[in-house]
Amino acid sequence: MASVTLRRLSKTYAEGGAGPVLRDLSLDVRDGEFLALLGPSGSGKTTLLKCIAGLEEPSAGEILIGERNVTQLAPAARDVALVFQHYALYPHLTVRANIAFGLEVRRVPAAEVTRRVQETATRLGIATLLDRRPGELSGGERQRVALGRAVVREPQVFLFDEPLSSLDPPLRSELRGEVLALHATLGATMIYVTQDQREAMTMGQRIAVLHQGQLRQVGTPAEVYERPADVFVARFVGNPGMNVLKGRGRGTEEGSGMVDLGGWSVAVALEHYEGEIHVGVRPEHVTLGAANPETGSLEVRAVEPLGPETLVYLDARGQTLVARVHGIPNLRRGDRVGVTLDRSRLHLFDAAGERLG
Amino acid sequence: MSATPRGTGWRVGALAAVGVAALLPVGVTRWARLRSERALAARSAASTAAYLELVTPAGPGGAGYDLARLLIRSRALDELPGLHARVEVYHGTAPLVHATAPGLAPETLDALRRRADVPWAGAGAGAARGGRVALAPLFDRQGWDVVGAVAARADVPDALLAAWLAVAVVFTLVAGVLAVRPLGGRPDALRPAFRRYAAAAGLLGFVAGADVRAIARDTTDLWLADARVLMQDAAARLPELRSAPASLAPIARDAEVVVGDSAGARARRRDVAGVPRASVAVRLAPGRWAEVRTAPDEARAWGWFAAAFGLALLGPVGVAAAAWGARAATRPRYLRETTAAWGFLAPSALHLAVFSLVPILFACYLSVHRWSLIEPVRPFVGLDNYARLLRDPLVWAALRNTVLYVLYVPVSAALALAVALALRGRSRGVRALRTAFFLPSVASAVAVALVWQWIYRPEGGLLNSLLARAHVSPVDWLGDAKAALVALMIVSVWAHVGYQMTVFLVGLEGIPQAYLDAARVDGAGAWQRFWRITFPLLRPVTLWVLATGIVGAFQVFTYVYVLTGGGPLHATDVAVYRIYQTGWEFAQFGSASALALLVLVLLGGVGWVQFRLLARRAGGAGAAGGARA
Repeated sequence: MASVTLRRLSKTYAEGGAGPVLRDLSLDVRDGEFLALLGPSGSGKTTLLKCIAGLEEPSAGEILIGERNVTQLAPAARDVALVFQHYALYPHLTVRANIAFGLEVRRVPAAEVTRRVQETATRLGIATLLDRRPGELSGGERQRVALGRAVVREPQVFLFDEPLSSLDPPLRSELRGEVLALHATLGATMIYVTQDQREAMTMGQRIAVLHQGQLRQVGTPAEVYERPADVFVARFVGNPGMNVLKGRGRGTEEGSGMVDLGGWSVAVALEHYEGEIHVGVRPEHVTLGAANPETGSLEVRAVEPLGPETLVYLDARGQTLVARVHGIPNLRRGDRVGVTLDRSRLHLFDAAGERLG
Repeated sequence: MSATPRGTGWRVGALAAVGVAALLPVGVTRWARLRSERALAARSAASTAAYLELVTPAGPGGAGYDLARLLIRSRALDELPGLHARVEVYHGTAPLVHATAPGLAPETLDALRRRADVPWAGAGAGAARGGRVALAPLFDRQGWDVVGAVAARADVPDALLAAWLAVAVVFTLVAGVLAVRPLGGRPDALRPAFRRYAAAAGLLGFVAGADVRAIARDTTDLWLADARVLMQDAAARLPELRSAPASLAPIARDAEVVVGDSAGARARRRDVAGVPRASVAVRLAPGRWAEVRTAPDEARAWGWFAAAFGLALLGPVGVAAAAWGARAATRPRYLRETTAAWGFLAPSALHLAVFSLVPILFACYLSVHRWSLIEPVRPFVGLDNYARLLRDPLVWAALRNTVLYVLYVPVSAALALAVALALRGRSRGVRALRTAFFLPSVASAVAVALVWQWIYRPEGGLLNSLLARAHVSPVDWLGDAKAALVALMIVSVWAHVGYQMTVFLVGLEGIPQAYLDAARVDGAGAWQRFWRITFPLLRPVTLWVLATGIVGAFQVFTYVYVLTGGGPLHATDVAVYRIYQTGWEFAQFGSASALALLVLVLLGGVGWVQFRLLARRAGGAGAAGGARA
C-alpha cells in the first residue's frame, strides 16, 4: 500500500484555450486512507484522477505514489486501478476475461489468473456471472465486475471516477457499502471522485473539495460540514447547503458586532470589522416562531414538506433563507413568520468568501 | 364509407370488384377471339389469293388472268369441300363469287396497291353476319401489279369451354357475393367464404385462360386445314406442282412447306429442333406428301392466359382490400399510418421490383432458353445452358480468376486499417493525406484504369521507367499472363483503400476512449490494446468492409474491360467479363443469363456467410452499446 502525494499539480489542455483545469494543486493522501474528492461537474475531479492514473500528463507539478515519483511513468507502471463512471467493461469479453485482462497482459501465470479471478468474483458475489458478457448484466452487476477488474490486480491505489452515479439510489447505497467493505478488508489507498456531497460525507475518511481546479478544503466530513473554509464549500456541502447572506458588518461598543442585512440585522461575535461580509447559517439552525417586532418577520416563499422535516424558503429582504423544521408545519406561501438564527452556529466569511475566525 | 351500417361503402366497392373481376376474364376471351379471327381472316385471304395466283392461268397475251378461269376458280372456292373460310374474290372492284354482292371501293383497291394490310370493314362475301373479315391483294401472274383482292371471313367456333366459362362466371359471382356479405364483421367469419371465393375466381381465371388457349389452337388448326385443302386442290389441278412442294409455299405464307409423310389430315403438334410446331400433312399425289408447319398460336397465348387469370384474381384482391379497409376504417389512425407507410415504401418497392426483381426473373427465363437478339427462334432448352457452362473450361478459368482477384480485398482492407490508424488525427496535414487517399474512390473507374494503363505501359510507362532506374528489367505488366491479374489487383487496392480507410476511421471513432483508457490502466501496451481491444471491437466494421469489398470484387468489370480485355490468354478473364462477352459479343443471352445467375448464387452464398458473421457480431456491438448506456 502507498500514500499518494500531489505537489503543485497544474494541468492546462493545449487545445480549446480555456483556462487551466487544475491550478497549483497539492494534496497528501495517506497510506490506506479513503479520500473522497468532491466537486461539482467541471471542477477538474476527473482530470485530477486521470493525472494520478497516468492517462493525462500534468502540465506542471509532481505525483508521488509512496516514495516513487510516477509523474513520467506510463499508467501500467504506476500500479493503480481505475474504476470508470460508465464501467468501461470490454464488451467483447466475458466477465471472466474482463477481470483477467489486467493479469493476462502482465503475463501472470494462467493458474494464478484463474485462482485470483475466482477469488475476486466470489468476494464480489459475481461468481455465477463469469461466463456472461457485459451486455447481459444489470448496472449493479456491471459495476461489481468493474470493481472486480480493479481488485483482482491488488494495486497500491484505487481510483474511483463517480462509479455509482449511473445506478438507481437503492443500488447505489448497497454498492457504497461494498466499496467501504472492500476498503476495510484490502486496506488500500482509495481516492473516490464524486459530485454527490452525501456520498462524500458518508464514505470519505477525509473529503477534498475541488472547485475550478483548486482545492478549497481538505478535512474530515465533520470539519468540512462544521467549519467550511469558504462560501463555496459552505454552500456545496449539505442538502440544502448553508444559507449565506450578504450584508455589511460593523463593530459595536459592547464588544461584539452587528451585520446589517438590509433592514434586518444579526448580532455576531465579531469586533473590529467594517464592510461587506457574508453570514452563513445551516438551515437546521434557523428557528421559526411567531412574528414579533424584536426579530422582525420574514415572508414564506415556498414550503417543501419532506415528511420528518420540512424546508421553508423565506424571503430575507431579497435574499433567500432556508429553514429546516421538524414535521410538517402549518405554513403557507405568503405567511409571515418570526426568525431566530442560532448565534453560536453562525459562520462568517469575508467579502472574498474566505472564512473569518 | 357511410357510417351506418358499418362498412356499407366497402361492401359496395367489394361487390363492384367481384362483378368486374368476373366479367373481365370473359371480356379477355372475347377480345382474344376477335384478334384470332381477324388474324385468321387475314391469313386465309392471303392464302386464298396465293392459291388463285397459282392455279389461274394467264389470259391471252399479258400478265393478267384468264378472267373466265378466274371466275370459275373463284366460284369453285365456295364449294371446295373442307374449306372453312368464306371468301369473296374481286377482279378490279367487281365481286366474282357472289355476283350480286357489292363491289370493292376503288380507294380500297388503291390502298391495297400501296400496302398489304388494309383495314377493311368490307361488307362483301357474306361478311354480313358477324365474323372477322380481312382483305388481301390479288397480284397478277408476275406478282407485280395488284389486279384485284381476296376478302376472307373467319369464324372460330366456340370451344366446348365456352359453356364451362359461363358456369364458372356464375359460380364465381355467387361465391363473391357470399364472401362480401360478412364483410366488416369478424375476420374469422369472412375467412372461409373468402377462401371459397378465391378458389372460384382462380378456377374462372383458369377456364378463361384455357378458353383463350383453345381459341388460339383452333385458329391455327383452322388455318392449317384450309391451307391443306387449298394446296391439295392446287396440286390436283397442276400436276407439275406435285413434285415440287416448295412451289406451293406461297399458299402457306409464314409457314414452312417440307416433304413429309402421310401423317393424317388433322393438324398435330410436335417439336421440331426444340421448337414447338403445328403441322398438317398435305397429299400432293398418291405416295407424295408434303408437310405444312407453322408456329402454333397457342404457344404465344400465354400472355392472354396470364391476363385472364390475373384479372380474375382482381376480385379476391379487391374483396381482401375492402375487408382490410372496412376493418381499418374503425381505426382511422392505423389506416392513416398504414397508408402513409405504404406510400413511403411504394417508390422503393416499385424500384426494387422493376429494376431488380423483374430483371432477375427475366434472367431466370433467359437462362433456360436459347435466346439471342438476332435469332427469332428462342426455344426452351431446360438446363442445357447451365450444363454447357459447367463443361466450359473458360467459365472455370473465369471463376478461378475471380476468386484469385477477390484476394485483393483482405490486402486492401489491412492496408486501409493501417492507414486509418495512422491518419486518425485532426491536423491539417493528416486531413490532406486522408483526402488524397480518398480521392480514387470518387474518380471514374475508367479514368483510373486509363491512368494505370499509362503507368503499366511496357515501354515508357511510369512503373517500368522507375524499374529501369533501379536496373530491373522491364515487365510487360498487362501483357504477361503471370503479371496481369496481379497488376489488376494492385489497381483495385489503390482505388479502394481510401474508401475502406474512411469506413475504418468511422469505426475507430465509434470505440469509446474509456475502453482504451481502461486497458492502459490495466497495463496493456499499444500492441496489446490494438489486438485485444481495438481490433475485436472493430470486427463488425471489418466484416462490413470485407463483405462489401468481396461482393464488389466479384463484380469487377471496368478495369478488366479497359486494361486487359480479359487477356492475355484469358489470364484476367473474370466472371462478369465472361457474362458480358457471352451476351453481347457472342449474342448468347441464355448462356450469359445462366452464368449471371450462377454468379448470383455464388455471391448469395458468400454474402450469407458474411452476414451471418455480421449478425453474430451485431450481438456483441449491442453489448457495447449497453455497456455505454
